[in-house]
Amino acid sequence: MKNRTLIYLVVLLLGGTLISCKEKEGEYHSISDKIEAESKPYHGNLTSDELLVDTELIKITEGENTFLIPERKSQIKSFACIECHSKPLSEMAGTDIQKAHWDIKLSHANGDAMNCATCHNGSNMNNLNSLTGKDIDFNLSYKICSQCHSNQFEDWKGGAHGKKVAGWAPPRASNTCVNCHNPHSPSFEKRWPVQFNTKTAIERNEGLDH
Amino acid sequence: MSDNKKWYSLDLGLNNKKESSGTCGCGKTEGSCNSSPKEEELSADEFYEAAINASIGEERHRDGFEQVFDVKMDRRSAFKKLTASLLIGAGAVTTSCSVTTGSDTKEKAQIDWEEQFKGNYKLMTDEEKQGTINRLMRSYELRTHKKINMTAENAAEDVLFGYAFNISKCQGYMNCVSACVEENNQDRNSEMQYIRIHEMKDGEGFKFNKADDNYYHEVPAEGHFYMGTQCFHCDNPPCVEVCPVQATWKEEDGLVVIDYDWCVGCRYCMAACPYDGRRFNWSKPEVPEQEVNKNQHYLGNRMRKKGVMEKCTFCVQRTRKGKNPACVEACPTGARIFGNLLDPDSTIRWVLENKKVFRLKEDLGTEPKFWYFMD
Amino acid sequence: MGTFKVFKSLVIDSLDTITKGSKRYHLWMGFLTLVMLIGMYCYSIQLEEGLSATGMSDRVSWGLYISNFTFLVGVAAAAVMLVMPTYVLKDLDFKQAVLIGEGLAVAALIMCLAFVVADMGEPSVLWHMIPGIGVFNFPNSMLTWDVIVLNGYLFINISIPFYILFKHYQNKEAKKSVYVPGAILSVFWAVGIHLVTAFLYQGLQARPFWNNALLGPRFLASAFAAGPSLIILILAIIRSFTAFKIEDKTIKKIAMIVTVAAQINLIMLISELFKEFYAPTHHSESAYYLFFGLHGKNALLPWIWTAIPLNVLATVLLTFNKLRNNLKVLYFCCFILFVAIWIEKGFGLIVPGFIPGPYGKIVEYLPTGVEIGVTIGIWALGAFVFTILAKTAIGIELGELYYKDKNTST
Repeated sequence: MKNRTLIYLVVLLLGGTLISCKEKEGEYHSISDKIEAESKPYHGNLTSDELLVDTELIKITEGENTFLIPERKSQIKSFACIECHSKPLSEMAGTDIQKAHWDIKLSHANGDAMNCATCHNGSNMNNLNSLTGKDIDFNLSYKICSQCHSNQFEDWKGGAHGKKVAGWAPPRASNTCVNCHNPHSPSFEKRWPVQFNTKTAIERNEGLDH
Repeated sequence: MSDNKKWYSLDLGLNNKKESSGTCGCGKTEGSCNSSPKEEELSADEFYEAAINASIGEERHRDGFEQVFDVKMDRRSAFKKLTASLLIGAGAVTTSCSVTTGSDTKEKAQIDWEEQFKGNYKLMTDEEKQGTINRLMRSYELRTHKKINMTAENAAEDVLFGYAFNISKCQGYMNCVSACVEENNQDRNSEMQYIRIHEMKDGEGFKFNKADDNYYHEVPAEGHFYMGTQCFHCDNPPCVEVCPVQATWKEEDGLVVIDYDWCVGCRYCMAACPYDGRRFNWSKPEVPEQEVNKNQHYLGNRMRKKGVMEKCTFCVQRTRKGKNPACVEACPTGARIFGNLLDPDSTIRWVLENKKVFRLKEDLGTEPKFWYFMD
Repeated sequence: MGTFKVFKSLVIDSLDTITKGSKRYHLWMGFLTLVMLIGMYCYSIQLEEGLSATGMSDRVSWGLYISNFTFLVGVAAAAVMLVMPTYVLKDLDFKQAVLIGEGLAVAALIMCLAFVVADMGEPSVLWHMIPGIGVFNFPNSMLTWDVIVLNGYLFINISIPFYILFKHYQNKEAKKSVYVPGAILSVFWAVGIHLVTAFLYQGLQARPFWNNALLGPRFLASAFAAGPSLIILILAIIRSFTAFKIEDKTIKKIAMIVTVAAQINLIMLISELFKEFYAPTHHSESAYYLFFGLHGKNALLPWIWTAIPLNVLATVLLTFNKLRNNLKVLYFCCFILFVAIWIEKGFGLIVPGFIPGPYGKIVEYLPTGVEIGVTIGIWALGAFVFTILAKTAIGIELGELYYKDKNTST
């Protein structure tokens, strides 16, 4: 009688243990396995087309990547430049015309390596100027930057550098260099954080004073 | 589908009202019938208050032996509360039957009643989901006379959200933190924040205990780097395992979400989370009316109540519409990359495949979907 | 129908018993009621304001309530230490003590459940936890296991003594074949409730202080020291205040149990300390915080350094037969052992688990008045329940309470 109860209990206990063994719902060993297995075939259908309707975009192809970047020229207030720069820069210099860009100070690279003419073509202000003297359209200004910043360029092409224009969903629309960086002073400035959590500070410093 | 629901639902809807308008729907409890005139005089908030009192606060008015056995016992008190709530419900119905009460009060009581006894969102059909968000929107309108827009979008097909954080880029401006608070209607009184930015010393490695996550000085500070943490939406989330009522779960698109109305507030998930990803509403959360973000999702930034958990949802109300989470959008340095892990052409996939990525506390086997990388 | 009539009579009789008694008894019950009312008032404040009325925070998210819960599960489990020798090993010495032990288990379990409910943020939706009506995350969540085993244990511990007392009430002998299987089951079950409660913490990879294999066994050892200590103290009180006869032999046997459990507990403590401090990793920071304080935060030091010496002193004193057999020394030892384990297994276990937090941040925890009020209220509730149960049981066992069959008596 007692033995039977004992056996019954042991069986019950074992059964319970077995049931309680967590059955893994995901068949994957790790998240990378899961990504690999579930992404083919891929047929996601969410798009961010709607979010992009207000932005004028142009399609570019760089290496293997094709994506959209914001159109630039219409965003530059005084474009087209030749409306003022009707003559080559060398001829305009020294005249008494009011200086338009007096506030621009170049704090980009060392003065030995870079001056205005590194990027701007004095004789054709409507276009940018590559290191080898070829014209680069203002809309494709990233080509200027990529001449030196090749690592950043690689990351940007792939999507590790820079921000998206609107959402994560395809089509991919990425901001171009000048959307975040001022080309004349590209680094971000020091400033104060936008907020401070007073409650956390109180909690940690005073701790036990209720 | 609705036949094998896993919860108990009471059919006490408006249809009931029509039939019972003459006789009072409560039938079984005369007491609440008789007491209904009193309740009719109550304003909406008072009624709500009274309802709460009746359901959970009644032990205050008890005495002696009763008080001892009727209070604070797990299952028993649950049953107890169920009956108490039934009584309120009966009261609510009587209120809704009466001619003298304003129709708003009636409707409010009706909504409260249905909300109190609705099921777990995870197990709802799409119609039921729509039903509850309609009620919640109506309830908000009745209380504040302002409209909100709440949705219940399900996970889209072939989407698995992932996040990457560039440690080299983050400058510690904390724009993400305030954008998150504003987007997600977090409690302003307790200054609840989902995101923490840790300021770490160069050359010391990831020493979180020496890092400062509540700094206030010009950033980036000399000789420091910054690293953000939030809910990592683990693929094998320990918080989900431990929840006794399945109030938190992993959605198809990988988001770990909470049904705020199903949570019982035991905080077991909080103890189980190795990443400090969860926050608890220790008191009633408050957001000034003009600051409330009115574009809401049931699982996301809708208003919470006191005593329940909440956490980062990767801004489910935005991301299921194709937008980026608020933190990604607010980041001035582009340190935050968000996207679909299942899309081979997505930027997040490129980051995972081409950068040297790592995750925090990988040895715990939680499989976070939140990676860190450097330039 | 006959059974129902007897039951009705039993309820009436026991109501009669528990409402009558000496002045001291009435004072005691009045005092408990007052404390419970205070606790109730504190709880109403907590319901009103939310858990912000307690000292808990996002950092230390479990506090006094869960600490007491953990400790009391141990006390409840300890009742088995009396059940086993009586019913299974047929050692009759314990027969009188076992009813008291089971009554204590019932009271402790009710307190456990009360503490868990008090800790809930949203008690109005607790019905979500009822299997069938709500959604019960079994078997994934250890908390659901705990709900099952605690309620099951409560049921066993109510039904066995009830059956025996019910029979004795009618002046019949309780049938062994009915209650012995239940008693054997309860032995396993008691180990179960405490292990499951330990697993509640042990299973969290996020908290290295809890996530160690010794936690469960140590729970058992300390429970089997603290629980029977409390039983000894209660038996001593019952002995001096009622006519219920408890032999010295019984108390000494229980003392033996306490001693062995306390010794094992101490060995495990040493092993734990060795692991934490011989080769400390950053997982040892919680233990450092507990024993030495961390970064100037040292709220737990006075507590733990009270608990450890008391624990050691009690264990050493109990180890010597001569001292243990001296009842005065024994009672003293039991008292300090009980206090020591309450500290150590209570907030000495729960609070350091949260400190430092996942990212090394420290926020200390100190319970608020409201929290302490609710806690004391629940302890009073436990004492109240136990007094009622014990008084009825003693009444029946002493033969003061028996079924007066109207058919035969008139």
